[in-house]
Amino acid sequence: MNGVWLVALPLLGAFVLPMIYRRHTIVGYWTGPVILIINLAIAMGLWQRVSADGTHSIAMGGFPAPVGITFYVDKLALLFAIMVILGTLILWLGKKMGEVREETLLLLIVAGGCGLALSGDLFNIYVFYEIVAVASYGLAASRGTGAGYAASIRFLILSALGSSMLLLGIALIYAMTGTLNLSHLAYLAPQMLNNSVGLVAFALMLIGLGVKAELFPVNTWVPEVYATAPARISALLGGIVSKLALLVVLRLLVLIYADTSAPLLLLSLGILGVITGELAALRSSDLRQVLAYSSIGQLGLVAIAFAIPGPAGIIAGIALALHHALVKPALFMLTEAWGGQLNRLVGAAQVSMLSTLLFIVLALSLVGIPPLPGFLAKFLLLKGALAVENGWYHTAIAVVLIATVIETAYFIRIMRLMFQSKTQQTADAPLMRDLKPALSLVVLLLISVLTVSPISQSLSAIAEEAADKEVYINKTLPSDWHHLEKVEW
Amino acid sequence: MNLREISSLVFIVWLGLLLGAVLKIVAYDNILTGGVGTYILTHAAPELGAENIVTSVLLAYRGLDTLGELTVLFVAITAAGLVLGQRRTDAPSDSDAGFILRTAANLLFPFLIILGTYILLQGHFSPGGVFQGGAILAAAFFVPILASPASPLHHRVSRLVEGLVVATFMIICLLALFSDDAFLALLLGKGSVSQLFSAYSLPLLHIVIGFQIGTAFAGILARLQETEASD
Repeated sequence: MNGVWLVALPLLGAFVLPMIYRRHTIVGYWTGPVILIINLAIAMGLWQRVSADGTHSIAMGGFPAPVGITFYVDKLALLFAIMVILGTLILWLGKKMGEVREETLLLLIVAGGCGLALSGDLFNIYVFYEIVAVASYGLAASRGTGAGYAASIRFLILSALGSSMLLLGIALIYAMTGTLNLSHLAYLAPQMLNNSVGLVAFALMLIGLGVKAELFPVNTWVPEVYATAPARISALLGGIVSKLALLVVLRLLVLIYADTSAPLLLLSLGILGVITGELAALRSSDLRQVLAYSSIGQLGLVAIAFAIPGPAGIIAGIALALHHALVKPALFMLTEAWGGQLNRLVGAAQVSMLSTLLFIVLALSLVGIPPLPGFLAKFLLLKGALAVENGWYHTAIAVVLIATVIETAYFIRIMRLMFQSKTQQTADAPLMRDLKPALSLVVLLLISVLTVSPISQSLSAIAEEAADKEVYINKTLPSDWHHLEKVEW
Repeated sequence: MNLREISSLVFIVWLGLLLGAVLKIVAYDNILTGGVGTYILTHAAPELGAENIVTSVLLAYRGLDTLGELTVLFVAITAAGLVLGQRRTDAPSDSDAGFILRTAANLLFPFLIILGTYILLQGHFSPGGVFQGGAILAAAFFVPILASPASPLHHRVSRLVEGLVVATFMIICLLALFSDDAFLALLLGKGSVSQLFSAYSLPLLHIVIGFQIGTAFAGILARLQETEASD
C-alpha cells in the first residue's frame, strides 16, 4: 500500500461523513472507527515493508524532489502515525453517538497528524500543521461553555501568532536556499544554513511549533484549555497532537541543524518547561490543571531528550513520548468525573476502587517507578544526557531529578486524599463509558512492561534509522537532481 | 505586575530583537537566482502545457499543499459550525436591504456565476485562477444574503456541496494514484499551450477547487452574519 493512503483515507472520510450521517446515523457512527482500523492496518503493512526493504520516499504527482513534494516513509514516521491513529481509535471507545462535527474534526486531526509525520517538505508541513491547529480550536471549544470559548479564543490567538512565526522561519529558509524540500535542505545546510540567520529561522520555527508542543514561553493556553475542554479532547491534544510538533522539531534538528547550537536552544526551553510545569502543578489545586501542568513538564522532558545529539537522544525522546501518549490520555479520561477541585477526590477510593487503582498505576508510571515503563523512559533520558560532554546537559539531569521529586510530591498528595474517608463533596465514580479508553490504555501500558526487551530493541533500530541523514538524502533526492545546480546559485 | 506579564513582556522584547536582527542580516536586494523557483519558471510551460505558472505550481508541483489548504477551509467551516451551533428559528434577523439592492443582487447573481466560472476555466493559460474565481463565486452566493438576510443560505445544502466537491477532488487525485501510481499525478493529455482543453487535468481541478472555495467562503460568511443577527 502507498503511504499516501494514511492521509487520503481519513480526509476522504471526513469529507463524506456529513453525507453518510444524513442517510444512516448508525453507518455514520461506525465510519470513523472503520477508517481508523483500515488506516492502522495500512500503517502496519508499511511498517513490515520498511523493516524488510528499508525506508522509501513517495513523490507526489510524480514530480521528484526537490521540485515536487515528497513523503518520507521510515519507522519513526510510521511509529508516530500509528500513535495518532491508535490513540484516536482508543479515545473513540464509548463516544456518544451523533456528534458528526466532532467526528469530522477528529478524522481531520488524524489526517493532518499522519501528514505531519510523513511529510518531507517544509511548507507542506506547515499546511498539515494548520489543519491540525484549526481542528484543535474547534474541538477545544466543543463543550460549549463560556469559559471554554474564552480559553479557545486565547488558544486561537496564540496559535495563530505561532503559525505566523513558523511561516516566517520557513520563508527565511526559502529566501536563503531557494528550496523547501527537507532532503535538499539537508544537503545544502552545511554551507548555507549553519549560520546566524539559519539559527534565527530555527528559533522562529521552534516558537511556532512550540505552541502545539507546549514548549516553555508559548504554553500559556495549556492549563486553561485542558481545564475547560472535554476530557477526550484534552487527552488527544495533550497526549498525542503535542508530540507531532516535537517530531517535526526533531526532523529539523537531525537533518538541518545537527552541527549547530540549535539543540542547546531546544534544551534550554525544555529545562525551563520542566521546572515551570512541575512547580505550577505542585501549586495547582484543580485536578485538570495539575494534569495540564504535568503535561508541560513531560513535554519538556521530551524536548530535552530530542536535544541530545545522536541516536541516544532519539531513543529516549521516543520512549518518553510514547509513554506519555499512553499515560496522560488515560489520566485525562478519569477527570471527566473527577475534574475540578482536588478536595472532591477525598474518599474517592471508597466510591470507585477500580478508578483509584488506575490512577495510582498511571501516576506511578508517570513519576517513573520501576518496573513501570516510565522508569525505563526516564532512565534512557538520564543515560543519554550523561554521555554528552557538555555542562548544560548535566544541568538538565539535575533538573530532571528535582522535577521527579516534585512530581512524586504532588501525586502522593492526591493519592493520600483518595484514601481518606468520604465526605459530602466526594465526586461520583467515573462512568464506564469514560473508563473504557483509560482501561485499554492501561492494558497497553502493562503489556509494554512484559515486552520491555523487544520494545527497547526496536526503539534503538528506529532511532538508528532516523538519525541517518545520508540515507534520507539518498532515498529522497533522485541521482540526476544536480541539473538544478547548473543554474547559478 | 505578576510573573506572567513580565515573562510575556520579556518574550515580546526578545521577539522584536530577533526580527530586527533578521531584517538587518537578510539582504532582500540579493535575491537568489537559482533553486527550485528558477527551475519551475523555465520548465513549467513546456512540461505541463500550462501558460499560467502560478496555476501549474498550485495544482501540479505543489498540488498537495492546495489540497491541504482546501482542507483547512473545510476544517474552519466545520469548526465554526461546531462553535456557533444552530441558529434558533425564532431569532430576529437583520432588516431587509430594500427593493433596489435586492433586485440588483438577484440580477448580479447569474453574471457573477458566469464571471467566476470563466475565470476558473481560463485559469491555466491566462491571468486568474482558482482562488480568484472562487472568491467571485463566493461573492455571487453571499451578495443575495446581504441584501435579504431573512432568507439565509441552506447550510445543509452548502455543506453537502462542499463535501461532495472536495471528495471529487480527492477522487481525481486517487484515480491518478491507480492509473499512474502517483497521488495527484496529472491525467488526460497535455494538449497545446493556450487551449481550453490542455494542461492535463488542471482545468478540471480548477473548476472543482473554485467551487469548493466559493461555497466554503459563502458558508463561513453566512454563518457569521447569522450569529450577528441572532443576538
